[in-house]
Formats: sequence, C-alpha cells, structure tokens
Amino acid sequence: MKYVNCLFAVLFVVLSFSATAVAHKVNLFAYAEGGTIFTESYFPDGRAVEGGKVLVYDSKDTLLLEGVTDTEGLFNFDIPKGDDLKIVIDAGMGHKNSFTLKKAEVEAGK
Amino acid sequence: MRTKTIAVAFIVAAFMILAAYPALAHFGTITPSDDIVAQDDDKTLDVQVKFIHPMEMHYMEMVKPRQFGVLHDGKKTDLLDKLAAAKGKSPDQDQSFTFWTAEYQIRRPGDYTFYIEPTPYWEPAEDLFIVHYTKVCVNAFGLEQGWDQQVGLETEIIPFTRPYGLWTGNLFTGQVLLKGKPVPFAEVEVEYLNETPGNINVVLPPAGPYVTQVVKADENGVFSYAMPKAGWWGFSALNQAEWTLTHDGQEKGVEIGAVYWVRTRDMK
Repeated sequence: MKYVNCLFAVLFVVLSFSATAVAHKVNLFAYAEGGTIFTESYFPDGRAVEGGKVLVYDSKDTLLLEGVTDTEGLFNFDIPKGDDLKIVIDAGMGHKNSFTLKKAEVEAGK
Repeated sequence: MRTKTIAVAFIVAAFMILAAYPALAHFGTITPSDDIVAQDDDKTLDVQVKFIHPMEMHYMEMVKPRQFGVLHDGKKTDLLDKLAAAKGKSPDQDQSFTFWTAEYQIRRPGDYTFYIEPTPYWEPAEDLFIVHYTKVCVNAFGLEQGWDQQVGLETEIIPFTRPYGLWTGNLFTGQVLLKGKPVPFAEVEVEYLNETPGNINVVLPPAGPYVTQVVKADENGVFSYAMPKAGWWGFSALNQAEWTLTHDGQEKGVEIGAVYWVRTRDMK
C-alpha cells in the first residue's frame, strides 16, 4: 500500500511538471553594453532556461555564432557585427523563441 | 463633426443629470501608454498621473505628488523628478486642471509596478483630506515576476489576479492591506475609466449607482470583480487614517485610499 502511494506521488509530480512545461513559453532578452551582448533566457515565472541553445543570426539570416546558456540562463558574447541581430533560444521540445537586437542598439553598446 | 458635437452634448447632459447623485467617487489614477511591453513595442512608456472622477471624466487639480516611483526586480526607484505638469479637462468642464506625466524607459524584463503617493487633497464637500496611494503594473519581455510584491505603502491593494493580459469579463481579485495587514470586509469602489484618451465607447450610466460599483472584501481583505468592458478599470479601497491634518487651524480626518488600475481587452 505504501508502495502504491509512493507510485501515485511520483506519477503526480511527473504529470504536474509536464503540465507546467507546456504552459510556459520560453523567452530571451538581450542587450549590448561595453562591447558585449548579454542574453538571458527564462520561463515566464522566472525560472532560468538551463543548457538552452542560443543561435545568433545577422540581418541576412547568416548564423554568426552559437552557444549554450548556463545555470542562470545566461550566455554572453562579444559583439560580432554592427547589424540587426536575431538571437534565437532553443530549449528543446518545441520551446523556441527569438529576440531581435536592432542595429542602433548594437552600435550603442559598442 | 456634427455627430460628434451632438454626442458630446448628450454625454454632457447625461452627466449633468447624474451630477445630482451625491456619491462622486474620487480616484487617483496612474495609466501607462501600454501595460505589456514586448520586443517590437515602443520601450518608452508615457505614464499619466491624475486625480479624477473616472466615469464622469472630471479632473481635479493635482499638486505635485509626494512620491512617485517604480518597483522592479525587488528594487524601488524614485521617479519624482521625472514628473512634468500638464493640463486636462472633461468635455463639460470649462476650466483645465493640472495632472502629471512622466516618460519611463523600460530596459529589462520583468514586472514594473508604478506607484504614487499624492499630496493630501482638501475636499470641502466631505470635510476631509484625501490621499490615494495608487498603483499600476507593466509587464516587460515575457518575464511575469514581481506583480504580487508589496511596495510598502501605508495602504495598498495586492493583486491576486495577474494584473495584465486580462480579457474583458475576467475576474479581478485583490487584497486590501493597511500597514501591511489585510483589512477585513473592506469596501472597494470600482470604476471604468471613461476618461481614457481616444475612448470612442464612452459609457453612459443609466442611473447613479452604475457610476461606481461597490464590492466588499471577505474576512481576509480579499475582493473580486468581473470587468464587463474593454479599457482601464480602477479599484479603490478607502480607509480612515489614524492621523489627521490641519485645515484652517482645525484638525481634519484623512481618507486614505488604496487604488489599483488594470486594463482589459476584448477577445477577438
């Protein structure tokens, strides 16, 4: 009986987690300062996107660089180009979003 | 143009009839140009601070507030220096009154709770001073964090409903706090902001009681109201301050209000 209860508890937790993940959209925010572009990736409730793949494209959709978010959801890199930069966060399982840093914002952060 | 003039005349007439009804509710207002800032939006908010009758659109003269700031990421920033005076009036007021505006640049993700503590307003009709601690929340870049935090005002409404991204018809639930503690059975006045610039659907209340809706909180100071129209809605919980102020050498009571503003949009 104890074993069954335990199983139910585990099942409940697993189900709640999957429900949470579905309801939560992934976001990326970026800004340029002192020659570096800082990105942070998060779920709406503030949890960090850990180990998410970050892809950086220029205005012609050419991939400039890529990286992985740390435990706080952060990934920083040197300004690769004075251009509109499309920064994509791919957290897997359909959790994908992008943020465009305008050329003027990139230039201002050089 | 002619239709517009007639429409204005109707509105004026309707409100003149209603003016006979004594309970004109004063509301402190803070309305930002947008309550949700996404990456393609203008990141500069125009924040307007007024003291008005929201449904009747009447302005009252507002002197410079004592406190104006924003709470973001657990930190309060004083914005008092950013306030600039402006003038406004309702269609049936023949004189303009002072309100305040400020520009604010959103730079980071998260919730921004703007708050105001006005300078006490002397209301001869009620023989008391009025101080409405007023708040509004703006969400930025998808990070929905901070909206339920206390600012730490003498009295304030804590939203229990996330205060943005609300549809018309949604229920707004909040808790009334006085000195950080819930106010059991607090009376909360609710009004629709007819005054919103560009509002083409001005509501004409068919009778006095429609102007200000009234709900009471439960024993934990928690109240709810379902908002029937798109636009800005104000919630105002009034309490009597323990302190008094002097007017013409006499001690006068102070009505302290906790006011919160939210915006609804139609589903379409």
